[in-house]
Parts: sequence; structure tokens; C-alpha cells
Amino acid sequence: MKLEELRQIRERVQDELRLRGGSARVRIVVGMGTSGIAAGARQVLRAILDEVSRRELGDVVVGQTGEKGLASREPVVEVYEGHRVTVYGGVDTDLARRIVSEHVVNGRPVEEHVLEVREVDG
Amino acid sequence: MISDLCMHVADLVQNSLRAGAASIEVGLERDGGTLHLRVTDDGAGLTADGRRRACDPFYTSKPGQRVGLGLPLLCQTAEHVGGTFALEQLGEGGTRVSAELPWNHPDRPPLGDPTETLLPLIVTSSGVEFVVRLRHDHALWELDTREIRAELGDVPLTHGEVLSFLENQFREGLELTGFKEEA
Repeated sequence: MKLEELRQIRERVQDELRLRGGSARVRIVVGMGTSGIAAGARQVLRAILDEVSRRELGDVVVGQTGEKGLASREPVVEVYEGHRVTVYGGVDTDLARRIVSEHVVNGRPVEEHVLEVREVDG
Repeated sequence: MISDLCMHVADLVQNSLRAGAASIEVGLERDGGTLHLRVTDDGAGLTADGRRRACDPFYTSKPGQRVGLGLPLLCQTAEHVGGTFALEQLGEGGTRVSAELPWNHPDRPPLGDPTETLLPLIVTSSGVEFVVRLRHDHALWELDTREIRAELGDVPLTHGEVLSFLENQFREGLELTGFKEEA
């Protein structure tokens, strides 16, 4: 393990993170159950992370969740904004990028791929 | 759906996450002709009934679901190739699931790619620490997220540069241990 490389990444990246500051406004959650992984969740995650970092979205955090009983609609991506969750199904890398640029950045959900919108606590 | 051994391991890791584990150890270790898969966690574990019925596809602890196929599938895979499966409750809390499979059995599922299956789970499970061990006889490769986080400070594992670094590390580990298989 080349820990020295990590130290270099930290030095490069930390200032960039400090400049952005702020707390998370949006949480994007990728379904990583086995069916999600089999359906390409890693590529979807990668596309989301690329887009978030390319656009320097400091107020977006990305996480994962297990199986949601939506196996036929995997990979599933959920966007949490305050009390609202928007659930997308059948997400590929193109749609993943659109979710970031159209929904998270511009506030316009990609309607034709939304499975459901629901309210949650917290 | 679970087509290779790394997918089995990813499924076990999801079980551990659901059990509220804060620390998960994953081992893919080969001694000569035997491959050991091992996932150890410090989560809530299973009830005695759950342990007894771990290989029963009609038992699940998930609310609202009637079948749980992850463990039974691994049991079945192990049995089919003449290997073994074990689920242990650890004294200090937590669970260890292990399977031993003959490496050269023609029906052994392919190993799969932990870069595709395990790494995405690891980087997106904030607050959970992982140790991944790949070993082939004496060739040992280990990744410990505690060590990595100690170097990274506030930089998250999901940062693009960190993810690329980790992907490269996994690839090196797979080469070192000869676990890289033709797809």
C-alpha cells in the first residue's frame, strides 16, 4: 500500500474541499444490493462521482443502500433533498450524469425515469 | 444474479451492513487447492433460529420478504463443488460466514472482480471500516480503510482521485495473488 500517494492526494484535494465548505444539501444513494451490482451499479456510482467532482458540488454526498425489492428496476438511484426522496430506476451511466446535471444542479428531476417521489422524516 | 464468488461476498457484506456492523473483514485466501471465503463482522448477528436456518431459502429476517437467498445460494454452491459452509456467532459479538471451495473443481464459480463488487460498497459505506485480505499461499495483499482514512483526513473515499487510487491497489492485489481470471 503506497500511503505516500494518499498523502499527496490529501494535500491536493483538501484545499479544494475547504473552499467549498458547507453542509450536505443533497444525498445521492445508489442501490448496491447484488442485483444492483450485477446491473452495473459500480459504473453508475463512478459516473455520479465523476460528475459531482467535475462540477465541484461540495454540498452533495454519495452513499449506498442494499436491496430495496426493486430488483427488476436496478440499478436504482435515490436523491434525498430535505424531506423529499426521488427514486430513479433502470439507471445507466448517461442517466446518472443527467440526474446530477438536471436534477441535482438545475432542480429539474428527469421525470421520465422517476419511479416514485415520497416524503421522509429528517 | 449471484454469478461469481465476489458477488457472494458482496451479498455477505450487505448482510453485515444490515446487521449494523462498524467493522467488516473480508478474506479471499487460497491455500494450494483450497479457496477460503470469509466475511467477519461485529454486527448484531443472527438469532439461534436464524443460524440454524441459514441455509433454508424460505427463512429470512428481512421484514416484508418471504425468502432470503444469499446464504442458501452460497451453501448450495459450496455443497455442489464438495466444499464446506459455516456460520459462526463470535464470542465478542458479530458473525463470521465462511466457505471453503476446491479451487480446481470444474463447477467452482469464477472469482469475479472485487473492484466491481466490493470496492463500491466499501467507499460508499461511511462510518464502516473494512479490511480486505487477498492471499495465495505466501503472497499476501491487504487493504485497511482505517489506515487509508488516517492518511486522508477529511477527504472522503468517494473522491474521484481516491477511488482511482483504490482501484489501482485492488488491481495490484489481484495480480500479486494471481486472482485475476479470464472473464
